[in-house]
Amino acid sequence: MKLTLMGNEAIAWGLIHSNTQMVSGYPGTPSSEILTTVQKIKDSKNLPVYAQWATNEKVGFEVAYAGAIAGVNAAATMKQVGLNVASDALMSASFIGNKGAFVLIVADDPGFNSSQTEQDSREFARFARIPVLDPATPAEAYEFTKLASEISKKFEIPVMLRSVMRVSHSREIVEIDDNFEFKEQKGNFQRDIPRWAAVPREGRLKQAYEQLERIEAIKKYNYENLIKSKIDKLKGTKNLIISSGAAYGYAKEVVDELNLDVDILKIDMPYPLPDELKELVKNYEKVLVVEETYPVIEEELRSENVFGRMSGHIHLVDEMNKERVLEAYKKIGFYEGENIYKPYFKVEDVNQRKPNLCPGCPHRDVFFAIKKVFRPKKSIYPSDIGCYTLGINLEAIDTVLCMGASVSMAHGLSIADKEKTVIATIGDSTFFHGGIPPLINAVYQKAKFILVILDNSTVAMTGRQTTPERENPQVDLKKVAEGCGAEVMEYFYKPDINETIEFFKKVKKRYQEIDKPLVVISRQYCVLDKERAKDFLPGIFATVDEEKCVACDVCTTQFVCPPMHYNERGKIEIDPLLCIGCGVCISGICPTDAFIPRREK
Amino acid sequence: MRYQIVIAGFGGQGVVFLVKVLSICASKRGYKFLGTENHGMSQRGGSVSSHIKIGDFHNPLIDFSQADLLIGLDKDEALLNLPYLKKDGKVVVNAESFPKIDAEVFAVDANALAEKGIFDAKGLNVFMLGITLAKIKDFPFSTQEVKEAIKEINPKFAAKNFEILDKAIEYAKNI
Repeated sequence: MKLTLMGNEAIAWGLIHSNTQMVSGYPGTPSSEILTTVQKIKDSKNLPVYAQWATNEKVGFEVAYAGAIAGVNAAATMKQVGLNVASDALMSASFIGNKGAFVLIVADDPGFNSSQTEQDSREFARFARIPVLDPATPAEAYEFTKLASEISKKFEIPVMLRSVMRVSHSREIVEIDDNFEFKEQKGNFQRDIPRWAAVPREGRLKQAYEQLERIEAIKKYNYENLIKSKIDKLKGTKNLIISSGAAYGYAKEVVDELNLDVDILKIDMPYPLPDELKELVKNYEKVLVVEETYPVIEEELRSENVFGRMSGHIHLVDEMNKERVLEAYKKIGFYEGENIYKPYFKVEDVNQRKPNLCPGCPHRDVFFAIKKVFRPKKSIYPSDIGCYTLGINLEAIDTVLCMGASVSMAHGLSIADKEKTVIATIGDSTFFHGGIPPLINAVYQKAKFILVILDNSTVAMTGRQTTPERENPQVDLKKVAEGCGAEVMEYFYKPDINETIEFFKKVKKRYQEIDKPLVVISRQYCVLDKERAKDFLPGIFATVDEEKCVACDVCTTQFVCPPMHYNERGKIEIDPLLCIGCGVCISGICPTDAFIPRREK
Repeated sequence: MRYQIVIAGFGGQGVVFLVKVLSICASKRGYKFLGTENHGMSQRGGSVSSHIKIGDFHNPLIDFSQADLLIGLDKDEALLNLPYLKKDGKVVVNAESFPKIDAEVFAVDANALAEKGIFDAKGLNVFMLGITLAKIKDFPFSTQEVKEAIKEINPKFAAKNFEILDKAIEYAKNI
């Protein structure tokens, strides 16, 4: 059966078609649609599959991995920085192994499209000594998911499927298995204490040697099953390109479009690589490794005639494109002609859209009120990872490190800079992900700062996945924060800026009276949340009284709502197609009250 | 058959929907294709550009000077994506006016038409696709094929979308 699928959807089908019965993970672009699609397929076909979001990647990994230990096929999904969080579990799991298949799916983000770092998860596979498969297109992503499951089961070891944004978020026709019937497996945990709980040292040592033996066996598998037939088909030209994953697409297209007389070899499993590949390299004058984003294959093959990033032939940072590949071919001498990918049309001088909070987003008001009440000169604003990070546009965010760090950094900053008030912001999902342990730490050490939890009850940035409180109100943010020992103030957001400012004045007053972390829970909504937003948005659309507008910039530099811009008369104008009708600007943002309700035709 | 299209706009305009429509059209024709989306960080109002490469390709990203067609749902976003267009490529853009360039440009002030109530602003993407169908002679798909794809994605809104598509095609006669 042929389906038009996005890479992540193809991976989800691959999971179902390898009888994967437990899938867990944490949303993160570009990985999020994998689990969402598994949920959709499971629901539509009524399959006995567990597919749930976990509170963070480590938790998700461990829940799924436990399934694999008990003998069912399982998978965990996350983005590359999520693997940092789950890496603790990965390093041990790679020693211990599994009975059912365990596929670790990680989506990388070359080019920092929506991530704080680039990272090459294949490095983590090498670090953990587990095999990694690197698909180049959605169709391959489907096949490789099934292959990963097969290899994992065969060698009883976690196998990583490493995707990148240009695989996860690209679309292609994918041929998927017809008439597939899901075979339910009954988990049956077999007690084996020396394996599953290998302490003390002797047990671990045995597993460490087994790990090395296993990786040797997988090298042979890689050669016999994935590389040998491709080597046989090489033409035996003077030079060779070795590539893997999405990078192969660029490398191959440039070779075709420039008609280069070079051999090109695509590697499906970049780690562990067989010794035969090192032998092959000797047959060529020059070998260029084209891979994304770190020199994984290049390091494994290290030799005088192997070139790539480490030799300075390929750019070191940012996403690959064909122009960059062409430059590399030129540098190494595979091509001498002109650059056919040079732009013919230049970029015109236009306003670039800055990343910004959505029109009508309640976070905007909270940031605006925080700055009004806790003036920037006297405050520090640590924040965190989520859509609210776009509050950076209002200059209401001073630091962004990693999930949950706003809380621990607020703690640290309050110790280091006692003259200022530290007021941190974090989303509800991020708080559950990584914010709870640092809050406990702060309470136990009697730190003093304010933590504002922006609770819109959804993971908005990655596509509005559900959060713990949303799925089950028994997980109550307020009780959790109180349970950590913090004092809690709750605000039920209203689209009226004066109400929000008044509330934060009360927060300021309370903060001066107490000697512990003060947690503010701002109960809001997400404007993109179809289930809830319509109940909250008042539908008051704004326009501008041009006589009153004095072009003071308050709305464009302090409130920064996307529909607001200056027109050719130098007055503020609201794009009626972008305005969502929250009415907040009318409630008191403008010093001269130039925003007025728009009369509907 | 090799045809490369860049669709440029911002979050909320339905750029991704157009990629889905074109992918389905291609698959129904039996053409190979690869498409991809480039999101900005923002959810609504931030730049979104999508690439779709129809034919024998290995990666979904269009490079500079390669696109046969640029569909701009917003004037500034179209201008920003001009480097992807090949010399003598074609541009369909939602703009009152557009600079004179070495390309065939069809500019329609669709925002103004939506404000006048000629069509629902939520269907801006479909309206611009209608203009494309009417004006781009080498566009690889027919109106009927586009309609079938739209229906496949969401049968519930298909009738409304067909209406917008037909309005655009009608409107394009006077450009």
